[in-house]
Amino acid sequence: MSAGFLAVQNVHKAYGAIRAVDGVTFRVGPGEIVGVIGPNGSGKTTLFNSILGQIRPSSGSVEFCGEDITGMAPLQLARRGIGRTFQTLQVFVQLSVRDNLIAAAQEFQGTMRARLFAKPDAGLGARADEMIELFGLTRVARLPAGSLSYGQQKLIDIAMAFMPSPRLVLLDEPCAGVNPGLVDELRELLVTLNRTQGGSFVLIEHNMDFIMKLCPHVICMVEGKVMAEGAPRAVQSDPRVLEAYLGN
Amino acid sequence: MGGALSAAGPPQGANRAPVGGSAAAKPQASGGPASAAPSPVSDRAFRARCIALAIALVAFALLPLFLKSYGTYLCTLFCVMLMATCGLNLTVGYAGQMSLGQAAFYGIGAYIAAIALKAGVPFFVVLPVAGIACFAVGLALGFPALRVQHHYLAFATLGFNILVYLVMRNEEKITGGTYGISGIPRPSLLGFSLDGVLPFFWFTLAATVVLIAMLGWLLRSPWGRAFAALRDNPIRAESLGINITAYTLLAFAIGAACAGIAGVFFAALVQYVEPAPFHFSVSLMMLLAIIVGGSGRFFGPVIGTVVIVLLPEWLRFMQDWYLAVFGFAVVALMIWLPGGILSIPERFARARAPR
Repeated sequence: MSAGFLAVQNVHKAYGAIRAVDGVTFRVGPGEIVGVIGPNGSGKTTLFNSILGQIRPSSGSVEFCGEDITGMAPLQLARRGIGRTFQTLQVFVQLSVRDNLIAAAQEFQGTMRARLFAKPDAGLGARADEMIELFGLTRVARLPAGSLSYGQQKLIDIAMAFMPSPRLVLLDEPCAGVNPGLVDELRELLVTLNRTQGGSFVLIEHNMDFIMKLCPHVICMVEGKVMAEGAPRAVQSDPRVLEAYLGN
Repeated sequence: MGGALSAAGPPQGANRAPVGGSAAAKPQASGGPASAAPSPVSDRAFRARCIALAIALVAFALLPLFLKSYGTYLCTLFCVMLMATCGLNLTVGYAGQMSLGQAAFYGIGAYIAAIALKAGVPFFVVLPVAGIACFAVGLALGFPALRVQHHYLAFATLGFNILVYLVMRNEEKITGGTYGISGIPRPSLLGFSLDGVLPFFWFTLAATVVLIAMLGWLLRSPWGRAFAALRDNPIRAESLGINITAYTLLAFAIGAACAGIAGVFFAALVQYVEPAPFHFSVSLMMLLAIIVGGSGRFFGPVIGTVVIVLLPEWLRFMQDWYLAVFGFAVVALMIWLPGGILSIPERFARARAPR
C-alpha cells in the first residue's frame, strides 16, 4: 500500500492473566488523523507501547509501509520516520527550548562522524526557529526547558515529535494538564502540521471535544478490545461506548 | 551561539534531572529576557569572557615564576588532574553516566607511560597509545552502563577501580607492586629538555589547554547536545533517533581517554608510579571536583580541581584537623550550593530578577 500506511493486526499483550491488549486490529491511511479513546486501564497506552517498541507484543503484527516492524526498537522506528510523544512530559530539562528542538532532529542529519564535525546547530537552526515560531515559543527559546511552565513544556514536547518531519506520529494524551485555551490552539497546530508536513497522526485523548473536532476516525477501546470504530458522531452515540466510557 | 556548552541550565548535583522537570520548574519564564535572535550584548559578553579567560591563562602560566619548586609542582599536578576531571565532566556532567572509576584509567595511563618510557619508547608515541588503550578499556566499562544506572553504575565502576588497583599492587613482575616503578624519564620537545620544573609545567599546561579546547569543540558539536539529551532523558532521546548505546559507550571512552593522557603526564611529572595515587578514593575526589565546580558546566572542573588539589595544601596548617574541616566545607557547599561554585552568579541573578 501507499506511504504512511500503518496496519495493526490482531495485537495481544498479556501480563500474566491480565490481557492489557486483547486482539486489536486497525489501519491508518496516509495523512489520516485517528483518535483512540477509552476508559483508564483499557489498554490504550499499552497498545501504543506495543506499536512503538517500548514493549514487545505477545502476539500479532504491526506493519508500516509494507514492512513488518513488530517488536522493533524505538531507535529503528525513529529511523523509519515514526515519532511519538509520551503520556507524561518528556523534554530535555537542562537544554534550551531551541536545543531541545535541534536535538529532536539532529540524528537524522548525516552520519555520526559527520555530526562530530558539523556546525553546532547541525544545520537545523532555521528549522528550529520556524517550529519555535509556529508553537509560539519565541520569547522563551533560549531558556532551559525545565524552567518553563507545564503548558509551555507540553508544547515543546509536541514540537519535538514533529521536528524531524515524521511520516507517522503517535501522541499519547497531548491535552492532559493543558488549559482550555491552549487545547484549541493545540488542535489548530495539529491541523496546520497535518496540512503542511503531511504524515499520519494517531492520538490517545480523553478530551472528547478535542477528539471529535480533530479526528475524522475514532477508535474506542474497552478492556483491551476495540469496542467501536468509525466516524466520531457514530462512536459517541454508540450505546456500548456510552455505557462503558462516556456515561449519559 | 547555542550548543550544549552554554545550554546547561541549573544542574541538579550529579543526579540526572527528574523526567518532566517538575523539580527544576520555576515559573520565571514569563518575565524572561530571552529573545530568539542572538543579541549584540551576548556577543560582547562572549568576547569579554574570552579576554578574561586569556588573561587568567597567562597569569597562571607566569605564576610559577614567583613560586618555589613545590608550588610549581602543585600547579603542574593541578593541570594533570584537570585533564582527568574534564574527561570525567563529559562522562558524568554532560552524559549523565555516574563513574567512580576515573582514577583507574588515570592509573592505567600512568603505568603504560612508566613501563614504555623506561623501555625507551618516545613520549609522543606513548601519549596516543595510552589514550587509545584507555579509550578501549573505557568502551568496555561502558557496557555495564547500558544495563544499570545511577548508584548501581557507581558501584560497578567502583568495583572496576578496585580491581585495577589490586592488579597494580599484586602483579609485581609488571607493575613493581607496592614498590612501584621509579626513574621514569621526562620527555624532551624539539631538542629542548623538559627536565626542569618550569619547562615541564609549561609543557603540561599547553597540553591541558589543547585537551580542553578539543573537549570544548566536541561538546559544541551536535555530539554535545546528544550527550546532554542522553543525560536529561534517555527514553525520549532514543525515540528521537539518538543512538543511546553508542553515546553511552563513547561518553565513558572519551572520559577514560582523557584520564589516560593525564596519567602519562602524571608519570612524567612525579617520575615514580605506585598504586596509591590510583586508589578509588582518588576517583571520589575527582567526582567531588565535578560536583563542587558545577556538574555539566564546562569550566566547573577548573574550580573543582583547585578545591581538590590546592585546598588540602592550604588547610595543611591545621594538621590533624584539616580533613575534618575539608569534609565540613564540602557538606556545607552541597547543602547551600548544590549546583556547584559556578552556579553562584545565577543564584544572584535569580534573587535579583523581578518576579
